[in-house]
Amino acid sequence: MALLEEPIKGVPVAKNYIDGEWVESKGEIIDVVNPVTCETIGKVGISTKEEIDSAVQAAQTAFHDWRRTPPVTRCRYLFRLRELLEENFEEVSRVQTQEHGKCIDESRGETRRGIENVEVACGIPTLMMGDCLEDIASGIDEYLIRQPLGVFGVIGPFNFPFMIPLWSAPYAVATGNTVVIKPSSEVPFSQTKITELAEEAGFPPGVWNMVHGGRTVVGGMLEHPDIQGITFVGSTPVMQDVIYPGCGETGKRCIAQGGAANIIVIMPDCNVEATIPGLMTSFFGNAGQRCLAGQTLVIVGDDDSFYNDFVEKVTDRARNIRIGYGLDESVQMGPVRDVQKKESILNYIEIGLKEGATLKLDGRKAKEILGGYPETCFLGATIMENVSREMRIVREEIFGPTMGIIRTKTLDEAIEICNESPYHNGHAIFTSNGKAARQFQYDCISGNIGINIGIVAPMAFFPFSGMAGSFLGVLHTQGKEAVRFFTESKVCIHRWL
Amino acid sequence: MNLRTASETLSFIRELEEKAAKLYEDLAKRFPANENDFLAFAKENRKYNKQIQMAYQSVISDAIEGCYAFDLESDHYTFETDLPDSAGLANAATKALAIEEKIMGCYTLGAEQSGSLLADVPRNFKMVLKKRVKRLERLKALA
Repeated sequence: MALLEEPIKGVPVAKNYIDGEWVESKGEIIDVVNPVTCETIGKVGISTKEEIDSAVQAAQTAFHDWRRTPPVTRCRYLFRLRELLEENFEEVSRVQTQEHGKCIDESRGETRRGIENVEVACGIPTLMMGDCLEDIASGIDEYLIRQPLGVFGVIGPFNFPFMIPLWSAPYAVATGNTVVIKPSSEVPFSQTKITELAEEAGFPPGVWNMVHGGRTVVGGMLEHPDIQGITFVGSTPVMQDVIYPGCGETGKRCIAQGGAANIIVIMPDCNVEATIPGLMTSFFGNAGQRCLAGQTLVIVGDDDSFYNDFVEKVTDRARNIRIGYGLDESVQMGPVRDVQKKESILNYIEIGLKEGATLKLDGRKAKEILGGYPETCFLGATIMENVSREMRIVREEIFGPTMGIIRTKTLDEAIEICNESPYHNGHAIFTSNGKAARQFQYDCISGNIGINIGIVAPMAFFPFSGMAGSFLGVLHTQGKEAVRFFTESKVCIHRWL
Repeated sequence: MNLRTASETLSFIRELEEKAAKLYEDLAKRFPANENDFLAFAKENRKYNKQIQMAYQSVISDAIEGCYAFDLESDHYTFETDLPDSAGLANAATKALAIEEKIMGCYTLGAEQSGSLLADVPRNFKMVLKKRVKRLERLKALA
């Protein structure tokens, strides 16, 4: 099938956007590589400490006037941004596919989810309202006002280059704060495009800033006394060892979202035909690189016939997944982001085999890559049977297109397996039994629960929850919780003498 | 060709609708007495394309099965629009009916396959099917 047109052309350099100006970083310039073609499609600077300081200073300066801009006016900038994102829907989706490798359907899904956050933040005049109670004692009234705090840092991951910073940034600016966004340097162009549109939407200089880079930028954000809080989505080790303690040491607010190793439970009464596409999306969508991906499939019951038939159907479907460049509309799975990530996934498959798992479907080498692209970053779907709950391929995050299958006799045992996982991000159950579904929802420890949904991605007006190894903090990104995170509650008691 | 993803399936359906719309525009020129009918059909086809595209772009997300929602053989639904110069209105209407049946077949099976997977997309497929019934009646009357 013919490819959709690539939007990134001519090896551009992704620049920083500081105080309303586009500036090339003075730091090291590195290549941005399309994982499908392995060609350099652009370049990006690894910004310096001075550059992040300069962005924070611009944001701090802009905060003074921005917080005084009425919420109803602030949200009009977001309405405009929302319109521009819609107008550029297809282009921004293709940018994601070109720099990340995901399929075009997946990129459009990411675009939609990002825009929905801008839409929710457009309701800030209502969302940000405080509370009031007259006559808490005779002649005395009490109010609660939500006030912005200042500059916030937003640190995005490589796997959802467009959407994830939008879980935070629209709420931050809508509530009167200013932001400095650091996209992943592996995939800088999606955020660059959003920032171009934010500029076109007319945000005053310094309100919306973007600084590309790596550890230096993250360290600069953590240390900076003028940054009031940070939202982070990335790996659990960085979340636990760098972001959360770093915010704690400097008294910053923190939303830190980490990794996951989600478990999908299959009851023998599930609707098999509808369940299998859900499993394909859950385990192999985005090439498994998402914190809501299924990693372990737990099949409940001792009916061998159901088990064998179900696993056969899942394997057949996975074996025939079309692999290639996501700008080919027929492609169902793209590559993983880079060779190092591929090696890590291959290593986990080896660990699984050493620990006693057996290969039902070997995806270590992609069977066929449509378009004849180099196999450098491609993997096929891998399915392993004879997996047990203590194995590392169950307990650690693989972040790739793999499925490990465990059998249990009862739902209770399946829930135990979910609950002993170090991660609790998005476990799910497929069943047609309401009682089993309720028990799962009630007893399973997980920030997000799916009932006949394999990817438990909350809509923008709900918080993106997560627990244990998947999350550190109190409030979450998106919706009302984001509004709470980005504002301080100020209580005023009035008595007029 | 086997269609599996939402993107390729909707691109294919868009092509079918547009191809049929062009045929109706041609028929409107060839049969001036029925110009209004045929131009209305062409306009509707393009409206359906917008409606389906809007449904897709509004509902597509990482939580639904965009890459695994269909299993359609495109060969079953493709059609030719060539009509001999000598063809009369009845022949043209018969041809259009056959094309409509192909398009409706694609929507019907597509809605069934993606029914529990793509939310608003299959719902809109069904809405388009329902609206097309009147067109079939009109074409039958002309055939």
